[in-house]
Amino acid sequence: MKILLMGHPNVGKSAVFNRLTGAKVTESNYPGTTVDYTKGYMRLEGKDVEIIDVPGTFSLEPKDKAEEVAVKMLKENKDAVVICVIDSVKLERGLYLALEIIEEGYPVVIALNMWDVAEDKNIWIDVEKLEDILGVPVVPTIAVSGKGIKELVSRIKEASPIDIEKIVEKAGGVEQ
Amino acid sequence: MKLSVDERWDLIDKIAKQTVKYGVYRHTLKDAIAELTVKPLTGIPFAIAVLYGFWSFFCAFAGFFTDGFFVKLFDNYWLPWLQEVFPGKGGWVYYILVGDPTADNCFEAFGMLTSGLFVAIGVVLPAIIAFYLFLIILEDSGYLPRLAVLIDTALHKIGLHGFAVVPMILSLGCNVPAVAATRTLETRKQRFMMATLLAIFIPCGAQLGIMLEVIPGYVGFVMIYLLVGFFVFGFILNKLIPGRSPEILLDVPPYHMPTARNVRRKLWVRVRSFFTTAIPFVLLGVVIVNLMYLTGFLDWLADVFEPILCGWFGVPKETVGPLIAAFLRKDLAVAQLSAIEMTTYQLVTSVVLVSLYFPCVATFAMLIKEGREGGWKGVAQYLFGSLAALIVVVFLWGGLVHLIWIILGVA
Repeated sequence: MKILLMGHPNVGKSAVFNRLTGAKVTESNYPGTTVDYTKGYMRLEGKDVEIIDVPGTFSLEPKDKAEEVAVKMLKENKDAVVICVIDSVKLERGLYLALEIIEEGYPVVIALNMWDVAEDKNIWIDVEKLEDILGVPVVPTIAVSGKGIKELVSRIKEASPIDIEKIVEKAGGVEQ
Repeated sequence: MKLSVDERWDLIDKIAKQTVKYGVYRHTLKDAIAELTVKPLTGIPFAIAVLYGFWSFFCAFAGFFTDGFFVKLFDNYWLPWLQEVFPGKGGWVYYILVGDPTADNCFEAFGMLTSGLFVAIGVVLPAIIAFYLFLIILEDSGYLPRLAVLIDTALHKIGLHGFAVVPMILSLGCNVPAVAATRTLETRKQRFMMATLLAIFIPCGAQLGIMLEVIPGYVGFVMIYLLVGFFVFGFILNKLIPGRSPEILLDVPPYHMPTARNVRRKLWVRVRSFFTTAIPFVLLGVVIVNLMYLTGFLDWLADVFEPILCGWFGVPKETVGPLIAAFLRKDLAVAQLSAIEMTTYQLVTSVVLVSLYFPCVATFAMLIKEGREGGWKGVAQYLFGSLAALIVVVFLWGGLVHLIWIILGVA
């Protein structure tokens, strides 16, 4: 099993990666800090599991070279579990990429990162409801302080491929 | 089943309506600062203040440690002691390791253990630490994307967009990660232009540090001259190279207070990589240059290039040595220039030449790596394209400095 860390640029993927692996990849507050992937290892239920910090991408249709790397990493690792890191302040945008990855058939875990920033901005996300609709584990995290990371790790095993039709049904259908 | 783009957004809309609640939004001080620093009227003076602060901090910090401590340590204690105790005075080994036995400072001695260590540890290390400390705070605070917004219009004139300022700023630390950072630009044209312009025009932190020691009064002039060159040749390259320069939407993140943990960690990673990759190259550079000098190869090269160096650029033929060293390490090359007898103006010209001329070997390797996306043809395009641009720039922009001195009557 492999784990891919994916998400939009500047949502804190590298911060999550450093937390999970104890590595020292560069974390900065601007989009495009990570332009190439980094591999690392984390302990998961007594085993060393490979985890990859993937450059940020807005969607699975790459717009620049760093995004190309991201999409390529996903396509090359068909057996991977994807931790989709979402900026809690921009849930909608983050869900777009998460849904695309779910539709491709990957098991997904969602980390709602920068939870503290969303709280500051008075944005409240009903995590249980979101989990119920999506059918994937959703965990609020604050990667820079390490909050929620343990729970994120403990719930990786719950990830399984979800049929998008189920999500559509739960959400109340879509307009064709 | 897969959704269409519209269906996906519709689904997201439905999910968000059921799961997200927006409370009353409080406009905070942070937001006010965030807005003031992107609006041109307040943002541009702020940007100038930040960059000037960056520069002042860099000079003060590097100067404090280099002039206040390392120069004294190396010139008064280390050099005389080595000259005293090192055996085999006059032999090759002595020359390579200690250098000129009569030298009274570590710039002129030019041995591996004297000038090599002095340049690496005494001059460049404090400069690197000062530079990265400030840069990391800029990176972590979230200021860089705001700078990108402010400079967008200017960079559009040369076919790039505001975000290209990020590789430019990173480049002032080291060209290697800066070339990698060009990957965030959209088209191959933009990436090639940016990588080439960076490699040619932007001096790295190591070089800046040593320039402060060698030509303290002229660093500002050299920097402005190089920046103007960056825009002039950027404008020309933009006209010559086919390809698109699309507009972008840039996400400006909220300001964050940099955490001590992350600043410490990043500083440590970068300083460590300076020790493992830069210092060996500085020391190796000294050895290679000394060997070339001892075998007479350097004198021969100097004679061969004399017409170009003296005639076109107006610098002494001995600068051929530093130009060779510049391929390994630019900081070493500038240090070496200071030991050659010439006028201040010739020295400034030589420093400009060292900056423009060939990227250092690490940057060169990175350019090849970036060209690889297009296969062998891509590598060839990147390499020959960059080289062609480089040769033209060195002759025109390097020669122009000489012309300026002639017009001013100081050449």
